[in-house]
Amino acid sequence: MNSDSPLLVLWDKGSRLMVLALRSLWLHKLRASLSVLGIIIGTGAVISLMAFGEGSMHDALEDIKRQGATNIIVRSIKPPDDGSSQRRSFTVTYGLTYADFERFQMVSSVVGSVPMRIVDPQEIRRMQYMHRGRVVGTTAAYQNINKIQLVMGRFLVDADEEEGDGDDVGMRNVCVLGSDVAEALFPFESPLGQSVVLNKHLFVVVGVLAERMPTGAVGGSSVSAEEFNNDVYIPLRTCRGRYGERIYIRQSGARSGEQVELHQVTLTVSDMDKVRITGDAIRDLLERNHIKKDWGVTVPLDRLEAAERQKQRFTVLLVFIASISLFVGGIGIMNIMLATVTERTREIGIRRALGAKRRDITFQFLIEAIVQTSVGGLFGVLLGLGIVYGVPYAAEQFFNSHLPAKLHVMSIFLSLGVSICVGVLFGWYPAQRASRLDPIEALRHE
Amino acid sequence: MPGVVRILDLVKNYELEAVTVRALRGVSLTVDEGDFLALMGPSGSGKSTLLNLLGCLDRPTSGNYYLGEEDVSEMEDDQLSEIRSKYLGFVFQSYNLLAQYTVVENIEVPLLYQDRRLSEETQRRCVELAELVGLGDRLDHRPMQLSGGQQQRVAIARALVNDPHLILADEPTGNLDSRTSDEIMHLLAKLNQAGKTIIMVTHETDIAAWARRVVRMRDGHIESDEPNPHPNGHIALVTRH
Repeated sequence: MNSDSPLLVLWDKGSRLMVLALRSLWLHKLRASLSVLGIIIGTGAVISLMAFGEGSMHDALEDIKRQGATNIIVRSIKPPDDGSSQRRSFTVTYGLTYADFERFQMVSSVVGSVPMRIVDPQEIRRMQYMHRGRVVGTTAAYQNINKIQLVMGRFLVDADEEEGDGDDVGMRNVCVLGSDVAEALFPFESPLGQSVVLNKHLFVVVGVLAERMPTGAVGGSSVSAEEFNNDVYIPLRTCRGRYGERIYIRQSGARSGEQVELHQVTLTVSDMDKVRITGDAIRDLLERNHIKKDWGVTVPLDRLEAAERQKQRFTVLLVFIASISLFVGGIGIMNIMLATVTERTREIGIRRALGAKRRDITFQFLIEAIVQTSVGGLFGVLLGLGIVYGVPYAAEQFFNSHLPAKLHVMSIFLSLGVSICVGVLFGWYPAQRASRLDPIEALRHE
Repeated sequence: MPGVVRILDLVKNYELEAVTVRALRGVSLTVDEGDFLALMGPSGSGKSTLLNLLGCLDRPTSGNYYLGEEDVSEMEDDQLSEIRSKYLGFVFQSYNLLAQYTVVENIEVPLLYQDRRLSEETQRRCVELAELVGLGDRLDHRPMQLSGGQQQRVAIARALVNDPHLILADEPTGNLDSRTSDEIMHLLAKLNQAGKTIIMVTHETDIAAWARRVVRMRDGHIESDEPNPHPNGHIALVTRH
């Protein structure tokens, strides 16, 4: 008798049994789909939850990258009115000062720094056009630290800070427009070299920024969500001269004002490893020089870690949910397999009489369980893909909200692998039970 | 020449809760190659037990069973499976075909459990066997689409596919009408004349009349063992020629 390689024989048997299993699945469509429902839902949940987790993580990372991983953002914060001073002055003075800015330069690991004055949204005019936007006074260094892209012209340069021939007081009246501002004021022509009116003064447009993604808000009050496309950038020196340091707010007849020298200073640190220490040094510096807590330090790198921790928590939760649903799914499979073994006792008896060994029977029912869970897993993958692509689309269409999802290719293989494992795990006992049946008894079974 | 089957003082006891049922009380029997033996007896006589032992589906309490050269009475479960797949063919009263398989696939089943791959050749052999039992035009039918007689023909083809030393038939005509019974017995007699050894359990004398030898059992013993000088099949074949 010729004997073939055992592996080939096994493959032969296995593929035959797979076809047989698929055939009987097709025969009992409703029963099969009910019994693998748990697997379908479990697999679908794994894939979609992984995609949403990955998506929000990705968004957070992008956000942090936009703020710069080596950056430290120092902001002025209006301190709570403690009412300690009986003499209620018109203006509250708080926040970062030019002296602070000079001190930051002394920290050795700080390689770049950008001071910013931010004037609250106001009218930017040109002829009959008008647009509301923030006016940001800053320096040339802003471009590099924030990785600014221009669509035309140039950003502010160091020379803009120097005394110029712009007008009577020797300030250079130049500005760079955010993309929305440029679009609103110059719908039909190039803004380069044209003038816009800011606070009754004419400014020459020297550049236009590309569209910038907004940054998300961070927990706490130090950094709120920022939108950049309505900004106009002017030289810091010019900003001081044109707007002064005081800003007045009229509120129901009463006048209050605040005096802030710098709203924000963005610092760049030489090395990723030094970001955290530098952050502490800056905090220390500010604590010693400010009586009130009128400042906040944000280290985007901290957010990176927070995001990673959050992802880890999410992963733990995901694994928990997935294992519960796959466990329930596995029990469904075990249940149906036990029923199948009882139902097909006679078939088992026939096969045993015709020469099937115990392990042949085990193999047959194990394959059947695995085929069921794999088919369930496949449908689960389809369900997951549907959710990953469908739900964000629906959210965008009907609720106008952004739901980031990023499909993880590994998650498909992972969940398919897990469904196969579930088949092995929960198919084992019924298969064993089938193989232990006494052939004579099994043959007599009706 | 030693017999295909030699059993020596075979004993089989079933341990029930309180009592021991002595199904076989020392049975000895030799069956030569090419024999056609009918095993008769009332229910409880031990003929089914004997058939299960002969079919290697069960192990005796004591005694020896030589199938060909091999003593199978002490074999492990896996070895018995191997013996069944290589040397034995089964024909059951209720046909016992697998409902989800076609005619050809059903004939193929015993080959699935011999450790070799199925080839074009085995496929062809199954088709030939189906033609031999007269089902050449129903190769892709499922058991549900066949009559009882046709199903039993498939079962006989299946019992032949591994070219067994011994065919065991358990009341092969028990579920069939007399005309179909005749057809099935013709087929078995033909196989016997082609050299196949057959042991058949039956309780009908006119079915036993097809065999060359009739063994009657009672209370776990062999009561009588007589040759049948004029088995039915011979006459039928002679008259046909």
